[in-house]
Amino acid sequence: MKRRRYLKPWIFGVVAGILVVLAEAFAGLYPPAAYSFCLTCHTRDLVNTLINTLFGRNFQTTLLAHRMIMVTSPAVLAGAFLAALMHGEYRKQKSSRPVMFLLSGFIIMTVGILIFGCPTRIAIRTGYGDMYGAAAFAGMLLGIWISTLYLRRVSTGRG
Amino acid sequence: MVYGTIILACMGMLIGYLAQRSRMCFVAGVRDYILVRDRELILGMFAFIITIWVLTSILYPMGLLRSGTPEYGDAVIRRSVEQMGSFSLSTFRFGKLLQGGDILSPNMGGVLTGRFLYITLGGGLVLGAVSTLAGGCVLRQHVLIAQGNGDALYFILGFYAAVVIYYGLLFKYLVRLY
Repeated sequence: MKRRRYLKPWIFGVVAGILVVLAEAFAGLYPPAAYSFCLTCHTRDLVNTLINTLFGRNFQTTLLAHRMIMVTSPAVLAGAFLAALMHGEYRKQKSSRPVMFLLSGFIIMTVGILIFGCPTRIAIRTGYGDMYGAAAFAGMLLGIWISTLYLRRVSTGRG
Repeated sequence: MVYGTIILACMGMLIGYLAQRSRMCFVAGVRDYILVRDRELILGMFAFIITIWVLTSILYPMGLLRSGTPEYGDAVIRRSVEQMGSFSLSTFRFGKLLQGGDILSPNMGGVLTGRFLYITLGGGLVLGAVSTLAGGCVLRQHVLIAQGNGDALYFILGFYAAVVIYYGLLFKYLVRLY
């Protein structure tokens, strides 16, 4: 039987961890600390930079966004597309519950802006030694636990 | 400017590629561990955190990484961030956990205080809860779009739209939370 994953997740963890820290140390991704990779914060910077230049408003961006365009989110999409197309895993599926996912994305982005991070960056901040990152990480674990128990109860209750 | 953008683009593409191949997701890792005791993804998450911990412990004393600064370039937020104490990021010294005075700014004495603590904990809770209900953390949703999943597409649309709505409408109300 073919192995389900081509790449072991812990290899991803080690490689991504090395990339993130070395990018900040040597490539000058500096003014906010622990900022080399965050999907929430970087898309906020991208959208706000576009709006600021196109419409002349003054939405907030981080100091790093003044020096470079934060294209992380489109780049992740591109890289994942490449991987999916190269290995034949692209399969178009219609959405089952669009409104719920729209709302979920909205909530995750809003809360992420308040918390200064997406789950990935919360893990990065925990590794950096930021106690608020560790607090957010603990809150995240608790929230995942609660939702998992809820999902388990819903699925076994009906089945 | 172009140099930095290229670096971010390359890093993003590499992480996107690796995430698709390894099916990586932080919330799915914890969820799988709770439901079926499957350890692979959660080991990936801990490998990520531990690698960063080790590398920052090595690089901070070498002076290659510097401590944190307030996040935003905007005066209002900077003032409110200074009032709640700084986000000074130093490191867990390798081998020693929870060095109180190092981790937070000196006037907080090493204790997590302030309203931001509750915001962080509560926000993390909401983040974890909603992410599991939606099926994955943000990274995973990006990868799912690449695999053609329609649900993830609506998620990311909501994600991007929320930035505009947040800064257009909700900003003045939410800043008062701090």
